[in-house]
Amino acid sequence: MAITSIKNLKEFSTNNERLEGAHLLCPGCAHSMIVRELLNCTDDNLVVATNTGCLEVSTAVYPYTSWDTSWIHIGFENAATAAAGAEAMYKARKRKGTLKDPDAPVKFVAFGGDGSTYDIGFQWLSGAVERGHDFTYICLDNENYANTGGQRSSATPTGAHTSTAQAGRVSYGKKQKKKDMVAIMAAHGAPYVAQLSPNKWKSMAKGFQKALETEGPCFINTVSACTTEWKFDPKDTIHVTDLATDSLMFPIYEIINGTELNILYRPKNIIPVEEYLAAQGRYRHLFKPENRHVIDMIQKEVNEKWEYLQRREEARV
Amino acid sequence: MAEKMELNEIEVWDGNHAAAQALRQAQVDVVAAYPITPSTPIVEGYGAFMANGYIDGEFVMVESEHAAMSGCVGASAAGGRVATATSSQGFMLMIEVLYQASGMRLPIVLNVVNRAVASPLNVRGDHGDMYAGRDSGWIQLDAFNAQEVYDLNLCAFKIGEDINVRLPVMVHQDGFTTSHTAQNIRPLSDDEAYAFVGDFKPVDEMLDFSKAVTYGAQTEEDWHYEHKAKQHRALMDSYTVIDRVFEEFEKKTGREYKRLETYMMDDAEVAIVALGATVETCILAAKQLREEEGIKAGVVAPRCIRPFPFNEMRDVLANVKAVATLDHSAPMGAMGMLYNEVAGAMVSTQDRPLITNFIYGLGGRDFSINEAKRIFREQKGHADVGYITTEIQQFSGLRGPKLGFYEMKRS
Amino acid sequence: MKGVLATDKRGVRELGAEEMVGWDEVTQGVVLPSFDQPIGNAALLRPEERAYSDFNSYTATVASWRVIKPVYNRDICIDCQNCWVWCPDTSIISRDKQMLGIDYDHCKGCGVCVEVCPTNPKSLLMFAEAEAPEDALAKWPEKKKKEKKD
Repeated sequence: MAITSIKNLKEFSTNNERLEGAHLLCPGCAHSMIVRELLNCTDDNLVVATNTGCLEVSTAVYPYTSWDTSWIHIGFENAATAAAGAEAMYKARKRKGTLKDPDAPVKFVAFGGDGSTYDIGFQWLSGAVERGHDFTYICLDNENYANTGGQRSSATPTGAHTSTAQAGRVSYGKKQKKKDMVAIMAAHGAPYVAQLSPNKWKSMAKGFQKALETEGPCFINTVSACTTEWKFDPKDTIHVTDLATDSLMFPIYEIINGTELNILYRPKNIIPVEEYLAAQGRYRHLFKPENRHVIDMIQKEVNEKWEYLQRREEARV
Repeated sequence: MAEKMELNEIEVWDGNHAAAQALRQAQVDVVAAYPITPSTPIVEGYGAFMANGYIDGEFVMVESEHAAMSGCVGASAAGGRVATATSSQGFMLMIEVLYQASGMRLPIVLNVVNRAVASPLNVRGDHGDMYAGRDSGWIQLDAFNAQEVYDLNLCAFKIGEDINVRLPVMVHQDGFTTSHTAQNIRPLSDDEAYAFVGDFKPVDEMLDFSKAVTYGAQTEEDWHYEHKAKQHRALMDSYTVIDRVFEEFEKKTGREYKRLETYMMDDAEVAIVALGATVETCILAAKQLREEEGIKAGVVAPRCIRPFPFNEMRDVLANVKAVATLDHSAPMGAMGMLYNEVAGAMVSTQDRPLITNFIYGLGGRDFSINEAKRIFREQKGHADVGYITTEIQQFSGLRGPKLGFYEMKRS
Repeated sequence: MKGVLATDKRGVRELGAEEMVGWDEVTQGVVLPSFDQPIGNAALLRPEERAYSDFNSYTATVASWRVIKPVYNRDICIDCQNCWVWCPDTSIISRDKQMLGIDYDHCKGCGVCVEVCPTNPKSLLMFAEAEAPEDALAKWPEKKKKEKKD
């Protein structure tokens, strides 16, 4: 595989972009930062499948496409299966000798938001990973159905306000915990699973390249700060993402073959989750006196998760 | 390379095995499928070919029918021959993706082994699933027996993949009645069959990396209408290719297919319009009535449900006095589909026959030759007095009080 | 330079103002070709070397989305490429490890590039959309002294 140099940003910047501008994503959207980085991690030909969601409705609205690669969108739930189908066709045609350029290196990639990954497309993803197709699935996790105006998903964290899990006089927002998708995908025995974040571009690029290079199904959950629904200024996307990784709300780690867990980023100064929450309008209500306990609860869970990840890393099981 | 299979001049196959054999001979590149009664033996049969070295393509057993059609769409856009099979609930789960496949103009072949749709759950044959697909933008071919299942599968690839068509094609057969009933089949040899179907010709393939293509873009009000209208036109115009492929098939095998099949219609006074295995029942009934009672009965059967053979229907029924349309699906609040299609065709001509509608055989209830004869006789009664003497829509073979709706309005 | 910063087809069409092409031009199956001719793997070609089709959003502009715009000061820039890697709109034009400028056809004015710029003073600053680049550069702030922490 033709992986590109990620030694430093200068080297990385010599890549030729394959996601064009004038897509319709919001100013400051992290989705396109993540997608661009994936596309720049390899020079191989790509077949990209995308679930319905912000990325899809913003990059392929007739009469425009922003993709300089082969690209397909079918429905909300089935990008993993579209990629799997294309991958199966590639294998069949390679065997039969009907490919136009049989030696051209190719990678299969699927993108989905957390709505299509954690919720409606969960089964399709699970099936494609279980069958062992050679593809990389990347979840652009902005923790809500941003494309339809910010409804809750099973990736929405406790305490966040969404339009279908609202904060109000008698509610502090979403009551349930965020689904641990990384653990679920690791439990499939996928050869490479990770949670990565665009503010740590190099660890993200390394993870992307590992996934692309690994034969078999790989899953990566990426943190995609959503200026519109998390409610922060578009210029602050990377700042908010820094708070996410440094408060350990989004720990960055990989799990190889379902067992070997490696933490990929240890903040020098771990900041309280309160700072992360305070930077976003969706958590504003938590700073009312009656909701203080929710912040304490979130902090406790973050601490426990970090402890768990470190013990898993140490135990190598 | 896949091994060839030596076939006898006459094989004993049921409809499912006939479909599996046709898929093998067409050298499908990707079959993505999920098993469901009564179509399961198609994918089981294909799996057996796979396990024994008869298949070069990929066989992807997915986790649901929705995923089966999703995998087919991804595979087809990647530029190769694709097929699958399903029934009933699986078909219903697939419906979202059926529209996406046709909208993207992907020539996938889907074997639909017709079965009733729950609730209540039922594994037997009726046409509930087939009818649910009629607005999905697919060409729908209907086989009335196992030989036709085999023949129409080979034709389906050639029709759908034609550069002037590029549409997905369903091949329907009746659950159990056709799918599980073994009969004598005359297959082509592997070489002849593949030569007839021909190599797949990719269009806008995702695996041609010299030019990137985007599949599945969104279109809003400025563009959606033209796209859907164009898709409709492609479906309407596909009849020329269907006719040509049927002609080529006849030259090769001597077996003749028409988009609208007609039996004993030259001098028919009364007719039944039906689909599926029932057509054969009605043909036998018509023959017997002609011999025993001198009733000039005939049978009309759309081989092609979509595009609907509107002109052909109008022509063949022009001189018929009374017609019964038989719908093997619960109409739920309206006349049955065949009634509506036939009435729609006949209302555009001066010579309108009296048209009635029978709902029959839901959930696999038997439809006998005697019942077909009774329906013919009833039409003869209408023809003789010049009006419909019964309710326009009736339920055939239903227990309890007679169920019927609407009467003819006479001035 | 002109050929890189503004190639012939880039940003020539306002979104939503496309000519409503007729019946024949509507593509079969809504398939959109990214390029007019087979160009091979785009990863091996720079944008100015690609035969973009009219269906590629490269040919469209979102400049009208902007109310403020980033202005680039070459004199201070250290070509770290932070702005390049985090630009959500593929609007930082970099070639051969050098930052060349901003693609104003595709920039939406989010301001991320300014936030991630590490130089002192920053090499990218936001100005009103109407501000002329030379006026903006004339107003560039001096190097900030590090504030002592209390």
